[in-house]
Amino acid sequence: MSFFGFGQTADIEIVFDDADKRKVAEVKTDEGKKEKLLLYYDGETVSGRVNVTLRKPGSKLEHQGIKVELIGQIELFYDRGNHHEFISLVKELARPGDLLQHTSYPFEFANVEKPYEVYTGANVRLRYFLRATIVRRLTDVVKEVDIAVHTLCSYPDVLNSIKMEVGIEDCLHIEFEYNKSKYHLKDVIVGKIYFLLVRIKIKHMEISIIKRETTGSGPNTFTENETVAKYEIMDGAPVRGESIPIRVFLAGYDLTPTMRDINNKFSVRYYLNLVLMDTEDRRYFKQQEVTLWRKSDKSRLPLHNAHIPQTLSHPSHSIPRQLSASSEDNSNRAVSPSNPNLMQRSISPSMNDGEKHNGPSEMEQDQPDVITNKLSNTHIENNQLDEDKIDDEPAPPVVEKQMIPEKPFVAEKPQVAEKPVIAEKPVLNRPESEASPSQ
Amino acid sequence: MEQINHPFLYIWSSAQMTNQASPVEEQEKLLDEALNIVKVQAFQMKRCLDKSKLMDALKHASTMLGELRTSLLSPKSYYELYMAITDELRHLELYLLEEFQKGRKVADLYELVQYAGNIVPRLYLLITVGLVYIKTNSNLRRDLLKDLVEMCRGVQHPLRGLFLRNYLLQCTRNVLPDTSEAQNENEGVVKDAIDFVLMNFAEMNKLWVRMQHQGHSRDKERRERERSELRILVGTNLVRLSQLESVTVEDYGRLVLPGILEQVVSCRDAIAQEYLMECIIQVFPDEFHLANLQPFLKSCAELQPGVNIKNIIIALIERLATYSQRNEGNINLSVVMEDGKEQEVQLFEVFSDQVAAITQSRTDMPPEDMLSLQLALLKLAQRCHPDKLNYVDRVLAHTDKICADIHQASGKTHLEHNTAVFKELMKILKLPADHYKNILTLIKLQNYAPLIKHLNHPGRIMIAVHLINDVLETDCLISTPEDVESVLAMLDVLVKDQPDQPTAEPDVEDFMEEQGLLARLIHHFKSDSADRQYLILSGARKALQAGGAARIQHTFPPILFHAYRLAHTYKDLKDTDDMWEKKCQKIFQFCHQTISMLVKAELAELPLRLYLQGALAISEIGFANHETIAYEFLSQAFSLYEDEISDSKAQLAAITLIIATFEQINCFGAENAEPMRTQCALAASKLLKKPDQSRAVATCAHLFWKAAKDGKQWPLNDASRALDCLKKAARVAQQCMDGGVQAQLLAELLGRYALLRERGNASLTTNLIDAVIQKIREELANLDQSEEVEQITKHFHNTLQHLKNRMETPDPDGLGYEGLTLA
Repeated sequence: MSFFGFGQTADIEIVFDDADKRKVAEVKTDEGKKEKLLLYYDGETVSGRVNVTLRKPGSKLEHQGIKVELIGQIELFYDRGNHHEFISLVKELARPGDLLQHTSYPFEFANVEKPYEVYTGANVRLRYFLRATIVRRLTDVVKEVDIAVHTLCSYPDVLNSIKMEVGIEDCLHIEFEYNKSKYHLKDVIVGKIYFLLVRIKIKHMEISIIKRETTGSGPNTFTENETVAKYEIMDGAPVRGESIPIRVFLAGYDLTPTMRDINNKFSVRYYLNLVLMDTEDRRYFKQQEVTLWRKSDKSRLPLHNAHIPQTLSHPSHSIPRQLSASSEDNSNRAVSPSNPNLMQRSISPSMNDGEKHNGPSEMEQDQPDVITNKLSNTHIENNQLDEDKIDDEPAPPVVEKQMIPEKPFVAEKPQVAEKPVIAEKPVLNRPESEASPSQ
Repeated sequence: MEQINHPFLYIWSSAQMTNQASPVEEQEKLLDEALNIVKVQAFQMKRCLDKSKLMDALKHASTMLGELRTSLLSPKSYYELYMAITDELRHLELYLLEEFQKGRKVADLYELVQYAGNIVPRLYLLITVGLVYIKTNSNLRRDLLKDLVEMCRGVQHPLRGLFLRNYLLQCTRNVLPDTSEAQNENEGVVKDAIDFVLMNFAEMNKLWVRMQHQGHSRDKERRERERSELRILVGTNLVRLSQLESVTVEDYGRLVLPGILEQVVSCRDAIAQEYLMECIIQVFPDEFHLANLQPFLKSCAELQPGVNIKNIIIALIERLATYSQRNEGNINLSVVMEDGKEQEVQLFEVFSDQVAAITQSRTDMPPEDMLSLQLALLKLAQRCHPDKLNYVDRVLAHTDKICADIHQASGKTHLEHNTAVFKELMKILKLPADHYKNILTLIKLQNYAPLIKHLNHPGRIMIAVHLINDVLETDCLISTPEDVESVLAMLDVLVKDQPDQPTAEPDVEDFMEEQGLLARLIHHFKSDSADRQYLILSGARKALQAGGAARIQHTFPPILFHAYRLAHTYKDLKDTDDMWEKKCQKIFQFCHQTISMLVKAELAELPLRLYLQGALAISEIGFANHETIAYEFLSQAFSLYEDEISDSKAQLAAITLIIATFEQINCFGAENAEPMRTQCALAASKLLKKPDQSRAVATCAHLFWKAAKDGKQWPLNDASRALDCLKKAARVAQQCMDGGVQAQLLAELLGRYALLRERGNASLTTNLIDAVIQKIREELANLDQSEEVEQITKHFHNTLQHLKNRMETPDPDGLGYEGLTLA
């Protein structure tokens, strides 16, 4: 990165305080290699020294000033030239003048706010780095050093589970449950699938973790889906009444925390995709967003202690079922807490604007809303006509859905379905186009 | 259509996962391929273990285990593959165990193996690792067991699931908690072990049952065969439960059995139910069964229609019966009654009630199975409660009812020969017979004889013959009139004609044999008391006389001989019984009636002989008025001879018998003797054939000259008439054309001359004898040599030798042969 001109020139070295004690984190570079970087957290002071070493000792180095910057920026790969800096802090280390000998300048960015976590994705990169510059008339002497930043989070221990009943009318009807809607990166997903109705010959069932990276906005939106993990949870065909345990350890996979609208530039979201495949290789799936978060290492609880069996207890259907809730959209949930026996426990949030969820608020749907007229069903779709559609979106546009006559619904139809039910968001889709695990 | 659209979409190769097993010829190839991969991967795994590269070893293990994901193998081949793989897994287990025991624990190994993407290899590894954890740290035991058995739910494919769970069961067999109280609750107690195995059992059973419903219905037979190959896997769960030593009878009744039964009943699969119920019976101890008979039997009633409940219950009955016998019937059995109280009951009672309930509730049960159940109950009653005949009788009453139902259903009055029900009933009937070996016991069973009537005609004969043979073998005596009546009623089919007997003539030989047996049986109607014996006989006759001519000719003779013997008995009792003469008279009246029945049945020779026998007996007993009665008997015989016997040979035999009988009877006075012997002589001379005539007439000589008895001459001896007879016989003999016959007759006649002379008839002079001798010699000289002639010659010479002997050493009392020359 350094450019050397004629005459006297210098090397810059940035030395961090506590470099030997500080933790490091592996961060992917844009070349895809992994690099170990010093790790900082939000609010932490970044301090150290900038050492300037003259190449030709004895002769002086004339400069227009020496500074060090702390920069946080987002690089969109399709827009290489344009970097969006969300942090740019500068410390002047020396006024313009001459440098006669090796000099070391201490610097300190105290309690820097670092709102985002470093990230390297398919189309976007978020990085933090320090840049020391010796400003000169012709070419500056510059040194950049990346640092890693992890954002920590904490959620109350008791988190709502995701529980939902989905199905294809007269064909397949399941209830699934994940113990949480928010998982930290070393967490374990524990859950179960309860089969209420099975009229298809299921071959196996898997859970995949899909990472969806969305960059840009408006017409320039790019979405990249990546299947991070694929995990078979059932082999063979279950019958009605079977309950299949789910247990997925997350620690082994390459995951990042969920990121939503980072600086209005990009989002990274994670979905648990429950996929059932029948003997004729048709796929039935239901995607469910989960929030991933990074937990502070220090307080890491033995949450995934393998010796504590983490399986959900059997469903007991004598108890009125808990309300199912979709975490997709909090504006359109329909639950009937007062009367769980009504066929209104499923909700059908619209997915038309599926890419526009914003902020953490969307996941916090803990309290049920009142019943709306927009009651509908969550359904698994068995839609073969969509197969040729190369579309990353698990939620195809509504209009298209309506054209599919054989599209099945869940068994529970709301009595108030004056609206075409199919118009509502089809949450569980089939087929999965080949683009979905796009890697 | 969709497959054309996106043929490359699938993550799992469809070849691996198709549900179609390949034909037999391919199985070997597929298995070979799989085994080869296993071999290679196992080798790599072990090499990595040697180098302590655990992660790589696990990877190879996982690849090896991936072979178990196949759907292409038949259960048999899959089993081989499974064995090969689990064998190799043992290396991994041993390695880990060693490492752990050395303290070199691999952190989070339990978690680590769960990253395997495919569930089948993952769970096998999980179980292997889990086992190592349990073995090295018993604190984890309870939770790990629970976790493993729960996680295995992920494999819902029947074959793969069964083997996976079997692996779980195999691995955990030595580590299940088996104490009723643990120092550390994390180690688990036996209840946890029960829960664990029961859960595994329930899941395995579900998978096993599910196999039945997969695939085409045309493969049903093959599927059922495959299922039966796999059943041992399911049954092992029960074995494991039975091996838990700290399970008490209470635990069994409260936890184990209800858990098993619930699964068995609710799976609604006949194959499973039948197998598992039998398993239960086989694997658990007798005491457990005894204490829980009711719930078990109740569940039996709830099984599917196709289940062969009979076998199950019979197995249980046999087992408990053996147990009871081993303990000499000392088994305490208490059941909880409906009011909640415990009550001591008999084993039989429980079974009897439950079997009744089952047969009633299961209307689809084939009748032969119902009978088999009764048979089993019968065995139980006999073995466990030998003293309680009423139990046996109760079973028989039930059986009777079942048979009645069968008739109602079939519209027939009897069970057809050689049908299943017939065979079962036959067994039921034979069982008590063979058990007690005493017909007297059988007649005490009120429901036994009626039961026989359900058999058809040949069947009844079979059982009757069987019963009689038993009596004959054991030499058992039937000694009261009532018993005789019952026995004969039981043997009704032999005693008289049956409405359902075949219209065709029965096989004569068989018939004779049956009646012969019946006759032999009659000889066993014997009482010590003479009066009672009489009652027996008259009762028997009454019963037997319904049998018709064909039967009474076999059955009456023994009665008559009984009667004659009885008369002798009375004679022996004459000092104690004043009435003996009257009784004898009555007996002979009875005999007379009996014989005349035979006469009425248009029999001749038999009654004739019986009359003669009777006459003999009468004369020997010599009660008051016996002469008249003897005469009556004899005259009856004679009139039979005259009226009924026409065949010349029979005539000769008959008249010979009559004469012989008369000769033996000494009671006649002249008044009765004269007509009799005259008639006999007359009859003898009227015989058709000359040789017959000659012989008969010669015999008649005995009518007129009997040997002295007790030194006294018979008062009615008439020497000249005796001589006349012999002379006439000689004359008739000489009228024969055939020289050989003549010689023979004369030779015989010579014997008679000698006999009567020796008996003191002086009118048979030596001259007469000499003349006969000369005549014989003459005749013999004229004959050509032949075998016949040789015999006659020998006979003649023997007689001569006798005479010679007598001449040399004369009998001091008798007449000698003075003057006879035997040149």
